Amino acid sequence: MSVSPRIPDTDIQNDSMEDRLYTVKYDDPGDSHLDVKVPSICADSCETADCVSICPADVWRRDDGEVPTIAYENCLECSSCRFACTYDNVVWEYPTTGSGVSYKHG
Amino acid sequence: MTDDTTESTIVDGAQLLEDRAGDAALESPNYDGEFDAVIVGAGLAGSAAALTLAKRGLEPLLIERGTYPGAKNVFGGVLYTPTIRELTDLDGAPLERYIGEKRFSMLSHHDETAVSLKPGDWHREPHNESFTVFRGDFDEWFAEQAVEAGATLITETTVTGLIREKGTIAGVETDRPDGEIRAPYVILAEGGNSLVSEGAGLKETESRENIAVAAKEVLEFPENDEAIEDRFRLVGDAGVSYHYFGEGAVGEAFGGGFIYTNDDTVSVGVAYSLEDAATKRQSPEETLNLFKSHPAVAPLLKNARTVEYSAKTIPEGGAETMPDLVHDGALLVGDTAGLVLNNGVHLEGTNMAVESGYHAAAAIADTIEGDGHLSQYADALEQSFVVQNLERYAWLQERVEEDRELLFERLPTAIADASTEYFEMDRKPKETHAKAAKARVLETVGGLKGATKLALRYRKLVR
Repeated sequence: MSVSPRIPDTDIQNDSMEDRLYTVKYDDPGDSHLDVKVPSICADSCETADCVSICPADVWRRDDGEVPTIAYENCLECSSCRFACTYDNVVWEYPTTGSGVSYKHG
Repeated sequence: MTDDTTESTIVDGAQLLEDRAGDAALESPNYDGEFDAVIVGAGLAGSAAALTLAKRGLEPLLIERGTYPGAKNVFGGVLYTPTIRELTDLDGAPLERYIGEKRFSMLSHHDETAVSLKPGDWHREPHNESFTVFRGDFDEWFAEQAVEAGATLITETTVTGLIREKGTIAGVETDRPDGEIRAPYVILAEGGNSLVSEGAGLKETESRENIAVAAKEVLEFPENDEAIEDRFRLVGDAGVSYHYFGEGAVGEAFGGGFIYTNDDTVSVGVAYSLEDAATKRQSPEETLNLFKSHPAVAPLLKNARTVEYSAKTIPEGGAETMPDLVHDGALLVGDTAGLVLNNGVHLEGTNMAVESGYHAAAAIADTIEGDGHLSQYADALEQSFVVQNLERYAWLQERVEEDRELLFERLPTAIADASTEYFEMDRKPKETHAKAAKARVLETVGGLKGATKLALRYRKLVR
């Protein structure tokens, strides 16, 4: 069909990431459970920063040619970054002694 | 077993830490060598294993890293209960709604073409064993069933590694003081992010082609108490499972969207290939927003407020990427074993997790009783629906990925166009519209020859 259909108004209000993360109960362990193994791989070799594109919680942020910063306190513990990094350069440890996210409606 | 461990079977990890730090250190339980088996993770697979062992008169220790069982767990939303019902009484279980309608929907950018199934039988107990639940509620309840049967549960305790003695796995290391706990058998039910299993060399890290990333929101309707019943046409405890495919659901990625109804909330989410998320630069947040904004989806969610946002990865490699399930002293179950089925119409995992936990525990119990061997777990699982279903659809995933653009982008648009054409009200005879509609679809699939080829390619789906 070449006719462009008339679309109903879709005024869905999506929360900002900040508001979404605000809904998640989180207990800060004090130390990051995430890290990069070899910083120079991120800075010198990685051009795609897949960790940034795939993270559902904006944990990973990177300026070109830099090592990513890690907002570990946003982490939803999905582990996408660990699987996505083609350099296998993500350190991922379980947060200890009950810290990290606690979902009620998972 | 010492007396102090049998009397207090749910142990708060923080309390344990305080006990150890103070004068009570000598009186606090020492778990080393006290249990028949240690189970890593009190999700559905882990608690099924613990419950099975306890019912066989054995003493399992269930270790959970969250503050309560389910605190770290996320799934789409539908729990399938046939095996759970065999293991325990479901009366009193925290179920949200039973699934009274399954709807499958193809979304192009602006169109929806859907099929809805509402068999009357689903309204009758046991409701086809399909219920929406929250894992924070259900997993805690299920773990309690194991505890009531005699299992010991310890929370807020993270297993950090496995103990090997003479080549055999002989227990676990934890993040607690004097945290080594030796036991003859270990069941790894730690989920798809299997740090302990991988660290011990029991499985490889799954490649990202076989992982789906999922983002979910639980939404409530604060201004409208009847929103869920009205919008989804529900009576009583009935609920719906809506699955969405195509470009309008997850953009150019391979995957889908979903809406499930709970008591007073709906669960809305997307799950799609992590490889696509990376290579097509398609973030879970944007993908979820896009799906929620689709003209066929948005009206269902109008004026909703987010109760909780969550995310998870799903091991979708199927039969071909299943790790070795049986190791010397250890068994892999649930997501750790990659036991998830996604063939487009069946999205299952929780039922397979419970079934695997049951068979793993049964193998351990038989072995302890001198009447079996750990390897019988792998055999039992292969003969069960779990591996049979995975093998039945092992061919599908690869093929659908090859045809992704046709199946999820061009065909949904063609079908929507053909429907518009077929039902168009004007003064032309129906024959004209029918021919044009048919031509629109055939053009997309490559003529009659192409249609036949496509049918042959997927004939095993209806075998």
